[in-house]
Amino acid sequence: MASTEPLLSVRGLNAYYGGSHIIQDVELDVAPGECVALLGRNGAGKSTLMKSLLDAGPRVVGEVRFDGEDLAGIPIDMRTKRGLVLVPEDRRIYPNITVAENIELGRHAARPGSVIASDELYDLFPLLKPLKQRAGYQLSGGQQQIVAVARGLMGAPRLLLLDEPVEGLAPVVVDEMAAHITRIRETRDLALLIAEQNLSFARRVSDRVILIDSGRIVFDGNWEDFDADPQLKERYLAV
Amino acid sequence: MIDYRARFRTNLMIAGCGLAAFAVVPFVANSGLMFLAGLVAINIVFGLSWNLLFSGAGLLSFGHAMFFGGGAYAMAVVSLRMPEVPFVIGLALGAACGGLIALLFGIIALRRASGVYFAVLTLAFSELVHILITKTTFLGRNDGLVGIRRPVIDLGVFSIDLTSATSYYYFIIVVMALVAMMLWCFQNSPAGRLIQAIRQDMTRTAFLGVHVQVWQLTAFVLSGSIAAFCGAVMVPFTQIASPEIAYWTVSTQPILFTLLGGAGYFWGPAVGAILFGTIDFGTRTMQGLSEITVGILLLAVVLMIPGGLLGLLKRRRKKARRMAEGSSPAQHEQSGKTEAGQ
Repeated sequence: MASTEPLLSVRGLNAYYGGSHIIQDVELDVAPGECVALLGRNGAGKSTLMKSLLDAGPRVVGEVRFDGEDLAGIPIDMRTKRGLVLVPEDRRIYPNITVAENIELGRHAARPGSVIASDELYDLFPLLKPLKQRAGYQLSGGQQQIVAVARGLMGAPRLLLLDEPVEGLAPVVVDEMAAHITRIRETRDLALLIAEQNLSFARRVSDRVILIDSGRIVFDGNWEDFDADPQLKERYLAV
Repeated sequence: MIDYRARFRTNLMIAGCGLAAFAVVPFVANSGLMFLAGLVAINIVFGLSWNLLFSGAGLLSFGHAMFFGGGAYAMAVVSLRMPEVPFVIGLALGAACGGLIALLFGIIALRRASGVYFAVLTLAFSELVHILITKTTFLGRNDGLVGIRRPVIDLGVFSIDLTSATSYYYFIIVVMALVAMMLWCFQNSPAGRLIQAIRQDMTRTAFLGVHVQVWQLTAFVLSGSIAAFCGAVMVPFTQIASPEIAYWTVSTQPILFTLLGGAGYFWGPAVGAILFGTIDFGTRTMQGLSEITVGILLLAVVLMIPGGLLGLLKRRRKKARRMAEGSSPAQHEQSGKTEAGQ
């Protein structure tokens, strides 16, 4: 019988920036191999929630368990080395080194025996092959985002957290990114939690949807349930 | 495209040209000027070691004198109290002394402080080292250690006599050129790039699974070791190790070199050290006015040329290129094609 233990389990998570209570009593699970979309408006708390999972920035109270282990007291780099990797928003790649070197930096996240081969990575992102020796600052926004995702994958994560991976990208690049993520899911045993505002992109790549509003989870279910209640979109995602 | 081989060749050529220029000094100048040139060569690498930390790892140190002084005193002690120890081992011990000071201090400071707080801690710790030197009889207290001999390096098959000031001067400039190139290679190695990645974005680099503090400590120890090596090389040249070389004013020197030359450029501290040495030499006869003149000049450069002299040169070159391109569109097109071809 397959294990029903979630890969990521969050219970009673609260996060604060100074006196501001940003994330409030969040509970969520992500199963191995599952792709979950975390949707919400600007300022809803998506990025803060992502950072809270790595204890990177806000003051965090609550339980975050990864693969059954309580992550309390474990610093960012060690959480990353356990396979919980975040590709943060705004995609800042390192401008003065090459694409290949940017991607190689991701190798630090690798657990022993779980390194992804460079060739395999470039097969997943064929667009990057001709750009290997190009400097980071010479890339377009879309190319930079693909490099950031590839770098996140370099450490062979078990759960990849992508924070708004297609924000500000042209529709054709969004399509490319969706294709990349679909290919990654087909070839790697990898779970994904993707914070997004782009509903159609999220729908294409994910199995389940979580809605967040004002730091609280207001919906957690599959896309059929989400579509069955049109008010969800109206209330929590409309600008 | 980034062509690291071409960059290496260019920087090797710069180091080679610098070495050649320094090598000419004994032929065209008196022994006093040669002595100053030797100190400038040491200061160049001292400045580079500081900038490795500042522009490389993003750590501001106000206390590099503790490493410089530590290395100098280690070399002086080895030379005077343990003359049987080979000179090269003495240099290694000097560098190791700086590395050890950096390790002890870094373990404490990097855990507790960052930014300006870290800088102030380095200043405080450096002063502690200075006071310790002045209170320790073994280290000659305020008088320092004098009478340090220049060595003869015995390599078995042959020996290198460095007892004269000129031969030791050549030893200094060759060793400093080698260390400068080693620093360049480190900065452009995967480890060097990782340290620069930490400076650019510490949190993001931690997201890549990098233990940020360990790498900052690595940079700190490396920078401290090189600064201490500079001190160790200097002592047989000046033949004295006095507490002044661990005083806070020495800590300001690599900062000034870097600001003068340009912190964003690998050779910035080198340009700054040469310029600073020249100004210092030019104003040496101005009784009591020397420091004021140097201070005013530095203030002017820092306020008027924020990117340092190399930054100014780069801006001038860009401006000249833009003007040339504006005046001749055909030439511009040709130049664009050539660049693309490269």
